[in-house]
Amino acid sequence: MKSFIRRAAVASVAALAVVSLAGCAGNGAAAAGSADGTIYFGVSAAVTGQYAQYGEQFKEGFDLALDQVNAKGGINGHPVALKYEDSQSDPKQSVAVAQKFVGDSSISLVFGDYSSAASIPSSPIYTAGKLLQYGFNNSNPDFTAKGSEYQWSTSITTNDSYKWTADYIKDHGVNSVGVTYLNTADWGIPAYNAFKAEAAKIGLTITNAEAVLDTSDDYRPSLTKAVAGNPDAFVHIGYGPDAAKIVTQLRSIGYQGTFYGGQDEQSFDGTADAKGSIIGAGFIETSKDPAVQAFVKAFKKKYPKETSVTSFEAGAYDALNVAVAAAKLGGTTRAGILKGFTELKNVPSVVYGSITFDQSTRRVLSPALTPTILTGGKWVASN
Amino acid sequence: MLNTLIDGLLRGNVYALGAVGISLVFGVMNVVNFAQFSFFGLGAMLAWFFVAQEGLPFWLALPLVLVICGALGLVINISVVRPLAKFLPLAAMLSTYAVSQILDNVSQISFGAQFRVFPQVLPTSNFHIGNMRFGTSDVVMLSITAVVMVVMSLFLKYGKIGKAIRATAQDQEAALQMGIPVGLVQHVSFVIASSLGGLAGVFIALYIGVANPTSGLDIGLTAFVAATLGGLGSLVGGVIGGFVLGILEAFGIYFFGDTSREIIVFVILIVVLIVRPGGLMGKVPLISTEPLTGTFLGKGRPLRMPRWVWPAAFVVGGVVIPLVASDYVLTTGTQVLIYAIIAAGFTVTAGQSGVLALGQAGPIAIGAYTSALVTMNLHFSFWAALPVAGLSAAIIASVLASPIWGVKGHYISIATLGLGVAIVAIIQLLEPQGIYNIPVPQWFGTVLSTPIAYYLIDFGVLVITLLVMWRIRRSHLGRVISAVGSDEVAALASGVRGRNYKALAFAISAFFAGVGGSLLAHQYTYIDPTMFTMLMSLLVVTIVIMGGVSLPYGAVVGSIILIGAMELLRFTPELRIIAYGLVLILVVRFRPGGILVRNS
Repeated sequence: MKSFIRRAAVASVAALAVVSLAGCAGNGAAAAGSADGTIYFGVSAAVTGQYAQYGEQFKEGFDLALDQVNAKGGINGHPVALKYEDSQSDPKQSVAVAQKFVGDSSISLVFGDYSSAASIPSSPIYTAGKLLQYGFNNSNPDFTAKGSEYQWSTSITTNDSYKWTADYIKDHGVNSVGVTYLNTADWGIPAYNAFKAEAAKIGLTITNAEAVLDTSDDYRPSLTKAVAGNPDAFVHIGYGPDAAKIVTQLRSIGYQGTFYGGQDEQSFDGTADAKGSIIGAGFIETSKDPAVQAFVKAFKKKYPKETSVTSFEAGAYDALNVAVAAAKLGGTTRAGILKGFTELKNVPSVVYGSITFDQSTRRVLSPALTPTILTGGKWVASN
Repeated sequence: MLNTLIDGLLRGNVYALGAVGISLVFGVMNVVNFAQFSFFGLGAMLAWFFVAQEGLPFWLALPLVLVICGALGLVINISVVRPLAKFLPLAAMLSTYAVSQILDNVSQISFGAQFRVFPQVLPTSNFHIGNMRFGTSDVVMLSITAVVMVVMSLFLKYGKIGKAIRATAQDQEAALQMGIPVGLVQHVSFVIASSLGGLAGVFIALYIGVANPTSGLDIGLTAFVAATLGGLGSLVGGVIGGFVLGILEAFGIYFFGDTSREIIVFVILIVVLIVRPGGLMGKVPLISTEPLTGTFLGKGRPLRMPRWVWPAAFVVGGVVIPLVASDYVLTTGTQVLIYAIIAAGFTVTAGQSGVLALGQAGPIAIGAYTSALVTMNLHFSFWAALPVAGLSAAIIASVLASPIWGVKGHYISIATLGLGVAIVAIIQLLEPQGIYNIPVPQWFGTVLSTPIAYYLIDFGVLVITLLVMWRIRRSHLGRVISAVGSDEVAALASGVRGRNYKALAFAISAFFAGVGGSLLAHQYTYIDPTMFTMLMSLLVVTIVIMGGVSLPYGAVVGSIILIGAMELLRFTPELRIIAYGLVLILVVRFRPGGILVRNS
């Protein structure tokens, strides 16, 4: 009896192992081509975990664009749909997701992932599978620069945006700045290097620069040091939530200069001390542009609970429209979409006005930034 | 200077509250409670919900948060922690990790994942000393902490249950024999700890201004270090540890920058532990046992595997799967295999020598970086870089870990956890940019970058790893290491220097972690420091415990279940992590010694 139980236990463990793998095999093999003519794009993003916030925002932008595209008859009469896979923006999972998409012949393009640490490890898999990886949110220039012809992005690069920031600050009569930047390999450090290089070129003095971590909660010791040289203004190179903490704490240690930093993101927009912050932006919710207004109106109608529309939703909305335009132009196969990307011109965009790719960088050709100032919880164009 | 001191006091305040909760539970249950981290984030989000969404006054919201957190704590203790803590603290610790995953995700589903702005309920900058401004809010927070601490200490000193808590913390079995209702005492302690966690969470929200469901993790970890620093189980120690750490950290950041924060925290911890191995206020018992000691031998025996299992497993893993599986399964398989290699190597440390090291992400990162750098700069081939990565991980990790082997029990777990975090932080300081275009493996000119090639390489390395582990376990050395793990005092009495053998076991584990890191680097072709997180370390530990803490082949099963389950649960994306946590709890509940270990 004992030995029977033992055998049963061993057999069940072995069976579990086989079943778990076979189960995955089932998933991969089941989706061979789409019988009903639906055109599928994949989304590799964080649905759970640390970056789930952005996954939610992307989904809202995608779904709105999807509704509009399908209401107008999809792509040549075929409806468009998305297949989401949760990667938690974790490379261990994003590579598996990439392989899953590559093996799913109904998928003709993949959006994502959110962070470089998850996107770049999956790039070789997409390249080998000849599947276009559209990292619409990857501001790290190396995502496309070190990638292959299958990596494309419509995000403005950190180099461009922080070069712009340095120029703008200097043009507005500021001669010295204190800086904090996120000490992240894929984003903060290259961004700071671009800012520093441009600042040196145009004669903007950096009195002190402190690298900080976005996982920290209390930046006061770093900020005390960063403003010790009494700079005219302050620059933070980072995202919304960390900028919200930084600007609040910067004011609490008594520094009153202009804050150049932050992000169009709910927690930053709602922070009292963030008022008057200035950033360069592509998408501006309050813009008078009719296309932007139509987008904002449609968005608020679909999501009545959301109080504001940020560049994350706008970026995802644009990305889906770009992908659809490419599929219309080149065809709905993987090769067709890639061809479409190489030929696209002047796709309407709520972020840039219109998008044309620079074929050598696979990024948006001469993306323009508009200075915006945070007033009453909304970013409005400044001068 | 004064600014930095005030700042240190304010952050120390939050750490102290968290540390007291952790120490309290540890004292009466001997369980390290990871769920405590989640109560920080949960407290902050609940406070945000009541104040910002429901419009309740802050003074009403605060007790509500405390009651909800306390009640949740009670449910967790009754349903998960206590049933396990009774016979295996290690399993209880693992299940608290699962509970914390569930809590974080429930909180995320209920409140959304966004960072939320916490309304200013009290003025935050109406006073100033020098340049440093602070507000009524900060003063109120400090006073609440002071009141809570005074009430707590009076309760512990004079209260009936307070006395019972102290008695239980001193000697659980003796307390039970004296008629103290230990179960009730543990429930009360858990409720108090959870409420304190919630309170700390509210303070985080007040002090920082923004919070999201995961924002407790980092402060939670630091509070955990503070509890260790003060001496686990000592409440006064928790308070002192919290403030000492807060102040030293503030000055450390001022001098070395925020990027050195994690290094500063753990250097402080390690220095304190070397000088005082039981923490500032903790006592080191003359004869102490490792938390893992005897768990395996005493509580269960490995299932006996019939001989046919090995060739069958080899054929299934090495032939059948590569032949029939899709690329997606093979890619998932590569991750399963790599973690199996790392975890199998780790069984020498965790299982045989009885040291539950929590920082394997450190050696994994060293291996990954070494392999990337030697192939790119010195033009090593992948095949040469693989063992070099393992060796350098073993050497560097051993050198860095050398001061901590005199530390015992749970303290060594925390010290190694710190070591792992500090190694990654140091790498980030030295090489902050990511490394791109790491060469893929080649075999006489053939590029091996297909999923099946990676799978077979990883499979081969795993087989070698298991053979090496098998040899080590049967060798004289392996038996000595096991002896140290089973009964260190007896081993010492027989002339075995336990400390050296623990270090050796750690080096062996670090070697395989480095090999695993190398495999990851060459498959991803890109690495950066954000990949080597504490969660990675915890995953390795979880895999090992899941399979049976000293069974190398158990690590393979653990890896299949834990990494495979994440993929299998894809049909329910929102509930994936919650389901994962539940699976983990159920397994631990019914197989506390590991899947392949029979209960006794």
